[in-house]
Amino acid sequence: MAKAPKEYRKLPGRGATLTHYVRLYTGADHLLQVASTGFTESYKRFYYRDIQAITLRKTYVGKAANAFLGATVAVLGVPALFTSTPVTIVLASIAGFFAMGLGANIALGATCVCQIRTAVQHEKMASLSRLRRARRVLERLKPLITGAQGELSSAHLEGIVGNEPKTPAEGLPPVISATS
Amino acid sequence: MTTNGSAILCPSCFTPLPPSQFNNDKFVPCPTCQANVQVAVFPAAFRAITPGQSGERILIAGESSCFYHDQKKAVVPCDSCGRFLCALCDVDLGGKHLCPQCLDTGRQKGSFKQLETRRVVYDNAALIIALTPMVLIIFWGFTLVTAPLAILLGVISFFKPNSILGVSRLKAHAAIIIALFQIVVWVLMFMGVLESLVT
Repeated sequence: MAKAPKEYRKLPGRGATLTHYVRLYTGADHLLQVASTGFTESYKRFYYRDIQAITLRKTYVGKAANAFLGATVAVLGVPALFTSTPVTIVLASIAGFFAMGLGANIALGATCVCQIRTAVQHEKMASLSRLRRARRVLERLKPLITGAQGELSSAHLEGIVGNEPKTPAEGLPPVISATS
Repeated sequence: MTTNGSAILCPSCFTPLPPSQFNNDKFVPCPTCQANVQVAVFPAAFRAITPGQSGERILIAGESSCFYHDQKKAVVPCDSCGRFLCALCDVDLGGKHLCPQCLDTGRQKGSFKQLETRRVVYDNAALIIALTPMVLIIFWGFTLVTAPLAILLGVISFFKPNSILGVSRLKAHAAIIIALFQIVVWVLMFMGVLESLVT
């Protein structure tokens, strides 16, 4: 008997909190976000036809983690280079543990926040916290979304750019119109 | 109401981003907060949201009316119960025309997969319950309770819908086998204790 085709395909990336982990899947006409506790699964669907924008914002969480882990490795590991008492061996072992974390964090790359916007919600994609993965996912989603919505023509975009709202002059208070 | 491009907000300061930042395929600093932002915008952002239909009033005597609104003209029958529906009551769900009643009943029964927002994954739960006391060895004694529970959940998983992702029943089988092994160990232990008491 022929095997039924899979309805959902897993996307790279996994986000986790204390209570659940989150993954993304692509379906035929929607993106599915699954938050799983192990006992239950909660689903959020983002239909390709409804996705208005996907935004990525670079964050410094990864760099901050690298600084913290690097400093910890240095503080715990340097004494072990000069002495070999049992205490320093223990400290070096702990430093090794942190060094592995540092290596993993460097290998995973820069961090980011990814959000999907539809007409009714802005949803943070917890599973896309690494820039490389987020970009890979974005590249996989773009053809699916444009397949459902069509391409955004450059002429359309240029028209919008031409009609950009003017920002208020710097330093001046906002003006509230008297007419209603 | 329409959405225009300038309403795409910076994810950091929530001020509207200028359209010149859209679809650049690289990070551009937000003019307000200087956060590095990359925005992929799609046509839905500029699409007008179509207003809902309210249903036409019956003007000619003898025209079929909506089951729920007898003053409104029927436009389509419900694909589930066959009742005539006006444009207001017609709910389009995956190409099917349904009445609000059938939609609600179907949602409660779990007939419409696309409306489900939560599921209990019995096979996964069974495996976690079977494995946790084994992995955390100090809780091995709990297997006296967890093993039958894991078998029960494993068996339930064969009759209930599991994950929407359509994974195999391998976890349920594994949970049942592990739990049976734990029960066998308990039985052997009890038999050993009984034998030592008899002798």
